[in-house]
Amino acid sequence: MATVRLSTLKKVFGTNAPAVDVDELKIENGEFLTLLGPSGCGKSTLLRMLAGLETPTSGRIMFDERIVNELDPAERNIAMVFQNYALYPHMTVAENVGYPLKKRGVPKDERTARIAEIAALLKIDMLLDRKPRQLSGGQQQRVALGRAMIRNPAVYLFDEPLSNLDAALRSYMRNELIRLHAKLRGTMVFVTHDQVEAMTMSTRIAVMEAGCIQQLATPDEIYERPATKFVAGFVGTPAMNFIEAEVVPDGATARIKAGDFTLDVTQPDGMTAPLQGPLTLGIRPEHILLGQGTDKAEITVVESLGNEQIITIDTGRRELVLRSTSGEKHRIGEHVTYALRPDRLHFFAADTGRRIGPN
Amino acid sequence: MTLALDAPAARKSWRVSDPMLGFLLVLPSLLLFLGLIVYPLFQAFVLSFHDVSTLTLEGEYVGLKNYEDVLGRSEFWISFGNTVIWTVGSLIGQISLGILIALLLNTQFRGRSIARGVMLMPYMLSSVVTVMIWQWMLNDLYGVVDATLMAWGVTDMPVPWLTRMPNAMITTIMIGTWKLFPFVVITILARLQTIPEQLYEAAKIDGAGPFARFLDITLPQIKSVLLFILLLRGIWDFKEFDLIFLMTGGGPQIGTQTLPLLIYKEAFGQLHLGRGAAIAILMLIIMTIMFFIYLWYYQREEKRAAQ
Repeated sequence: MATVRLSTLKKVFGTNAPAVDVDELKIENGEFLTLLGPSGCGKSTLLRMLAGLETPTSGRIMFDERIVNELDPAERNIAMVFQNYALYPHMTVAENVGYPLKKRGVPKDERTARIAEIAALLKIDMLLDRKPRQLSGGQQQRVALGRAMIRNPAVYLFDEPLSNLDAALRSYMRNELIRLHAKLRGTMVFVTHDQVEAMTMSTRIAVMEAGCIQQLATPDEIYERPATKFVAGFVGTPAMNFIEAEVVPDGATARIKAGDFTLDVTQPDGMTAPLQGPLTLGIRPEHILLGQGTDKAEITVVESLGNEQIITIDTGRRELVLRSTSGEKHRIGEHVTYALRPDRLHFFAADTGRRIGPN
Repeated sequence: MTLALDAPAARKSWRVSDPMLGFLLVLPSLLLFLGLIVYPLFQAFVLSFHDVSTLTLEGEYVGLKNYEDVLGRSEFWISFGNTVIWTVGSLIGQISLGILIALLLNTQFRGRSIARGVMLMPYMLSSVVTVMIWQWMLNDLYGVVDATLMAWGVTDMPVPWLTRMPNAMITTIMIGTWKLFPFVVITILARLQTIPEQLYEAAKIDGAGPFARFLDITLPQIKSVLLFILLLRGIWDFKEFDLIFLMTGGGPQIGTQTLPLLIYKEAFGQLHLGRGAAIAILMLIIMTIMFFIYLWYYQREEKRAAQ
């Protein structure tokens, strides 16, 4: 187990903009850190640099106090689980799991014992003589995990390992990974574009866009206080609503004018400057209340999930998405009133998209 | 009304049953197969039991005498041995050179597509051209090979590449390798390109060096293709005629004389068509045995892989 530290790490392919450009990232010993972002954001490239499969253009990667930039993948003592598992097709499950030990010259008896131990832990002990093609997706996933675990690596690297599984199995394996992390207490770096995976499993999440880390924080923090408009829009289903607005400060309060409605809010605490001028207002679907206030809208889409309804309303100027858990069944075409919870608003700078408040 | 009733009846008279239609569709190729493969094979079989002269194409039935003659002579066994040496030698050469070049061409480098094209050249040359090029290069008076070797001080005088044994066999095998390896490269390269890159990455992380990665990932992945090449090229090399015939004519003496050359010599040199046919039939039997060994091995491997 190790602490991983990256500084001024950059990877440039050809003459393109940097695929990865990270100033500083410290992954604590035993932490489950998720790199979350849309495809092409550089998360996989960053992971592959940690693995030693890609060479950084510049910058430094350190495992504990050791700089590993120049080390081969094998010398870094890492383990990686690939999206398609990358099991050796002609080897049995036991040979697959034992391969890293075999290549490190561990004697056969010891290997067999370790394989049995890991197989029992992952409940694949009855599959040891089978070939990968005879296994289901979930079983292959376990074998890949076993191959990663068998030599107690300093860092576990996961490259979207759950995305080839069907929904039920994915949720099951998420659960298993949480348990496994609690048991092994290993440093794990997990790459995914699925925010549910990121939110449910991580100690901390690093949200990436265009090669840069937009925010590094706990899942709750990311959800409650997204650092940029990008993070706010990327995390959360349905996505946060954004409204372009003009703010006029008035002492301790601020008047928000959005065209179809006006809202007075108290100036949030801990701000360097009072809210004013053009900015982007963000509000999560669960914080728009239906049947309250005086602003009017018409329901245009209703998506029923049984215990809740995802409702799209048309205010005449824009569409807003909200979540209704009241149990009341709404219908398309219904005229309703709505209100935004003033204590749950997020403010982002109109130009940079950075969070202004509340902090 | 009458028309409507008549039409299906008229059509019906043209209709043939499905099995019949299938047979009719296969018939042209069946006739070609019978005429061009089964008949000559049968003819050779019949000839091998007759003492037929190539000039008159007539002769009496002699039973197994041709076979007894052939098998009783050491020339047959020497030629058989030569055929095995040539086949095994050129197979080893082609496959090892083929794998090596295929691995090389599977890496990223500038001008890779040009290199792939150039690599194919020897395979595209006709045997006559290949032989002429090499005989010219290996010529003891004006050949570039001897001239270079002597200029570098490796040898003092021209090497008898094709006029001594075992030089002649080694040279022939090397030229065969040079001419035939591109087939191995193409087939293996096609397979190499389908091996997922992640297998190599996983192996790198698991601590496998370049050689271990070749043994543990590449080799098992190209194994089925290798078996296929082994069978196909094995058959082709076993009956290779033009390259050896043009290169050495079987010489020095009978040093590089393989079975196909012996057949030619018997049938057209010594005009013993029957005896030539007998050797041809013996060759057919040997190759059939080789094929069945391959088939047995291949099925065993398939079964093992499916488990």
